[in-house]
Amino acid sequence: MIHFVILMSRQGKVRLAKWYSTYNMKERARVVKEITPMILARPLKLCNFLDWKNIKLIYKRYASLYFVCGVDAGDNELITLEIIHEFVEVLDRYFQNVCELDLIFNFHKAYYILDELLVAGELQEPSKKAIHKHINDQDQLVENAKNGTTEEGQPK
Amino acid sequence: MQSKLEKVVAGLKTGPRFLKELREFDNLVKAIGECKSKAEEDRVISQELELLKQRLSDPKLDKSRGKEYMIRLMYCEILGHDASFAYIKALQFASDPNIYTKKAAYLALTQFLDYNDNLVLLLVNTLLLDMKSDNYLIVCTALVAATRLIGADLVNAVYPVVVERLRHPKEHVRKKAVMALHWFGQLDPRRDGPLAGVELDKHFRTMLCDKDPSVMSASLCALHDCIKVDPRPYKNLIPSFTSILKQVSEHRLPKSYDYHRFPAPFIQIKLLKILAALGAGDRAASENMAAVLHQTLRRATTSHTIGSAIIYECVRTITTIYPNPQLLAAAAESIATFLRSPSHNLRYVGIDALAGITALNPAAAAEHQVAVLDCLEDPDDTLKLKTLELLYKMTKANNIQVIVDKMMGFLSSCTDEHIRKDIVRKVCDLAERYAPSPAWFVTTISEVFRLGGEHVDEADAHRLVRLIAEQDASLHASAVEAYLELLDGESTAAAAAEAVTATASGAVATTPGLPRKKLPETILLVICWVLGEFGHLARRPAQAVLARLVGILNVHKAASDRLRGCLLTALTKLAAHTGGATGPVGQALIQPHDGGVGSAMGRAAGQDAADLVHKCLNSQSLELQQRAHELQALLRCAPAVLSAALPVDASCEEFSPQDLAAVAALPFLEGHVARALAGGAANYLPPEARGGRTGDGGSKGLRFAAYEPAPYAIPLAAASTSYAATGTYDSRSGSGTAAAAAVIVPSASSMTEPQLMVKSAGGRKWGPAQFETDYGPSASSSQAAPVAAAIVPPAPAAAAAPRNTGAHHSRSGSSASLTGQTPSERERLAASLFGGSGSGSTTTAVRPTAAAPLPAGPRQLNGSATATPTRSATAAATTPNPMDLLLDLDVVPPPQQQRPAGPAAVASGTNNGASQPAGDWMASMMAAPPGFMSPAAPPGTLGQVGSGAAAGGSFLGLDIPNGAGGGMMYNIQASRPPQQQAPGGMGMGMPAPMGGIMPTSLQQPHFVQASGLGGGMGVGGPVGYGAAAPPVQLQAWQQQQQLPTGMASGMVAAIRPQQHQQQAGRSADPFGDLLS
Repeated sequence: MIHFVILMSRQGKVRLAKWYSTYNMKERARVVKEITPMILARPLKLCNFLDWKNIKLIYKRYASLYFVCGVDAGDNELITLEIIHEFVEVLDRYFQNVCELDLIFNFHKAYYILDELLVAGELQEPSKKAIHKHINDQDQLVENAKNGTTEEGQPK
Repeated sequence: MQSKLEKVVAGLKTGPRFLKELREFDNLVKAIGECKSKAEEDRVISQELELLKQRLSDPKLDKSRGKEYMIRLMYCEILGHDASFAYIKALQFASDPNIYTKKAAYLALTQFLDYNDNLVLLLVNTLLLDMKSDNYLIVCTALVAATRLIGADLVNAVYPVVVERLRHPKEHVRKKAVMALHWFGQLDPRRDGPLAGVELDKHFRTMLCDKDPSVMSASLCALHDCIKVDPRPYKNLIPSFTSILKQVSEHRLPKSYDYHRFPAPFIQIKLLKILAALGAGDRAASENMAAVLHQTLRRATTSHTIGSAIIYECVRTITTIYPNPQLLAAAAESIATFLRSPSHNLRYVGIDALAGITALNPAAAAEHQVAVLDCLEDPDDTLKLKTLELLYKMTKANNIQVIVDKMMGFLSSCTDEHIRKDIVRKVCDLAERYAPSPAWFVTTISEVFRLGGEHVDEADAHRLVRLIAEQDASLHASAVEAYLELLDGESTAAAAAEAVTATASGAVATTPGLPRKKLPETILLVICWVLGEFGHLARRPAQAVLARLVGILNVHKAASDRLRGCLLTALTKLAAHTGGATGPVGQALIQPHDGGVGSAMGRAAGQDAADLVHKCLNSQSLELQQRAHELQALLRCAPAVLSAALPVDASCEEFSPQDLAAVAALPFLEGHVARALAGGAANYLPPEARGGRTGDGGSKGLRFAAYEPAPYAIPLAAASTSYAATGTYDSRSGSGTAAAAAVIVPSASSMTEPQLMVKSAGGRKWGPAQFETDYGPSASSSQAAPVAAAIVPPAPAAAAAPRNTGAHHSRSGSSASLTGQTPSERERLAASLFGGSGSGSTTTAVRPTAAAPLPAGPRQLNGSATATPTRSATAAATTPNPMDLLLDLDVVPPPQQQRPAGPAAVASGTNNGASQPAGDWMASMMAAPPGFMSPAAPPGTLGQVGSGAAAGGSFLGLDIPNGAGGGMMYNIQASRPPQQQAPGGMGMGMPAPMGGIMPTSLQQPHFVQASGLGGGMGVGGPVGYGAAAPPVQLQAWQQQQQLPTGMASGMVAAIRPQQHQQQAGRSADPFGDLLS
């Protein structure tokens, strides 16, 4: 399973971090602190996998952002890379040509999208179309709620 | 950057979807973006947090801005600041009717908290309400939050609602409900906690048939987890899984599930993983899935990473399930593309897949030699590490040197502790299995100690010591030289550090200086033993050796008592071997504390040594005191006594079976036992025969029923608390005594006479009484099984008898009191020495008496050394090309080794009478038919060796884990057809990893000493025989107890032979299914 997903900039600033295994605040800070230099220091040509402690780090760089997943040592590395790629594709379609700033200013949206893609450390929705539909539904609802038509957003 | 900013500005103006409602958040982000330094950023955030704190605690809080507050809080937390003051507010916002706020609050909570947090308790009600909401988006949000926030103690509160959601009309909700249940399942994977009795998997099975593929794929995740825990209940789902996989790979799913034109690859890979878990070791299941695996493999192409991912997963599945030649061939073919690829990622998975295939078909790696070597030379450490892993799996005797060299190279440059530990483990394992020569083994292991000593398992140190002990004088001398050099290097480094700090010598201990140069304690123990045992062979004078030994303490000021104790023993032995009290070392040691009379050259060192002895005489540690006193007492003895007590190079002495039998029968205890019995003590009952009693005690913490009255009214001997303990035995076990005893010892003549029963947990730990109680188990076992004693290596105390220097009683007594061993520990110890001695004697391996060209002297050569000489010779002859060496995978068919018939026959003869009880005991372990003990079986075959050993074990009452592990192992071996010669690792002439050997050491008394020595690593002579060093024996026992003995090695034994057999391409392995 996936233990965490971290998005970091080339300067090592965390843009988004989702933890699926239990890490308390201190451990989170330590993980970030330890893996950041390892990943940033890796030359481009090498493989996108790193052994770190008892987990495997799978990372991929998109423009100025590194997407890092910590997975079990026995997991399929390539499929994790593809999960990252699918996440990026979904983000890209949602934000229409996503860039780092989109993710900074709308990081909560990125979290919502990630929640659609991964739950409890497993990929739960293989279909990009379904994710988009769901996110758009959500946006629609939020829009309605904002415009004062709260009936739809009311719980029973 | 500029263009991106413009884009954002444009977005601000035009895009209605983004950025409009969060003005203050935008300002915050911008402010942080403009920060020049970390300090400035921190200041901005602190201000922000202050502001938020103020706003949120304001009673006139603007609820409609809840979302923005939440987002700003999250942002602060992402940047590493503490926003815990707002958690309660987030909980409140979660129950806000506005979905706009609610979602943000839930997101914030899942980020801030996890299921261990007590605040979650406050959320449960909101969560339940939201799960029942009409709005499906709210339900989804709540379900996702549940996967983060609901822990084991709250599962039952939400479980019924989540199950209800499985029937929700929206597939989105159903999917999330499945994922939530999946999470609940992970909280309690064995279903014995809060979810006991809950039929989670029934729901998963139902959802597998959901009409929506997303829901189906979610249930696959959940089922995969269940199957990983226990595949058996799910075998009937194999047809469903294969048919789903078939349909998916045939493109039957809607187009929207395609990913780069591959049909639902994520679902395919999940299914492949499930099939691997289901098919592992199950021939029928594997055959059922072969066709669809073939199809999946064929349909995937490497045109895109995702295709490679599918192929890779297919290969992994194929190598996990029961081997199918066609599939394996197809897999081997498809990974060739990976290995030739320029992409590092593909090469990485290619190497990994190749390792899987090589395990089944060693020839597979040969054609990829070049690719493998390329990867090994690659600058990418990850790839290199993976390649080393592959090499580890294909190591043979002929390529070990190269591979270990590569590993050591990596070890010296690697800094990650996890990886270092792993490499150290692998090198030790390989060295033990395939070492071409003893000298190589010694240098390699010492080098490992130097590079990564902190990770070396103590068992490896034992092996090293034993191996050194078993070799001849030239190796002893070279080991001594090597270790002296190691110490030289260390002390110079320490001296350099001292010079640099230029302070008083006392400060060195506190300066951290040169931590890398300091040798770890384990190797120091080894060095102490080697220099003590063989120090007289050193080329330098004995005083210099003495100086080096004592110098250890100058470098390691904080040395443990254990090390100091070993050091003392080493000094004693060194003195004994170099002329006793009149020799230079002896003189130095016994000189008065404050007057230096040592020879001019050894003055300083001699003074140090005398200081050490003096200090230990007054040490707080009783053991050190005792050793120091012994040292003095021994050195004052007549030279004849001294040399008899500490004979030169006697660590591998051999005893004849008759000697051992005489010792192991413990005749001198019989009077004692008879006295105890006459005094009203109960019979001894081995713990495994005590019925449910021990089990009850172990499984339940408290007993609520009243104890039944004691069966016997026993006059308690005041001195023997252990007997008192037996008195409290309840009648259940009391009445079971006779029956159980009948089961265990029908052949024993003592059946009718009352036997000792020792309550394992009882017993005083201090004082002279301990001596008596300590003897309980061994005494009774000797009574119970006089014949078995022939195989049973003597209990340590009894073993001291033949060469008793007269201090027997006081020594045993004090040694027991030193460590406070209870009788049960003693039993465990016996088992770890005899039954579980596998940990110590693992390399003793097959003793190829027939094949090995070794002097049949008193030394038993180590298996790893003896099994390989022929092949190492061939390897040496063909060394020129490293590539050849590395990849020469020709498996030399090992000579089938006939087990030595003599001792085995003796043992089987003596044990035939005992076979029935042994069978009974073993049946509880593994339902092995006791029939293999039939007298018709040719003597000397494994069946008898194994069963004899098992019988011996049971007589000793090896109920403890080590013994049990050992027993398992024997069964595995013993239940092979007797005619089949050495199975598994043994037949291969392979090093016989771990347990394969244990029967040998049990059965053939020759080995006992060797293995005992292994256990007793740091110190004086063979365990149980070293008359002069009883505390030493104790230490040996402790060491053995600390080791993960029998159980672990038994398991290893269960696994490894299988691999070897497969490597050798032997198909007729009756245990293939069981073991894989």
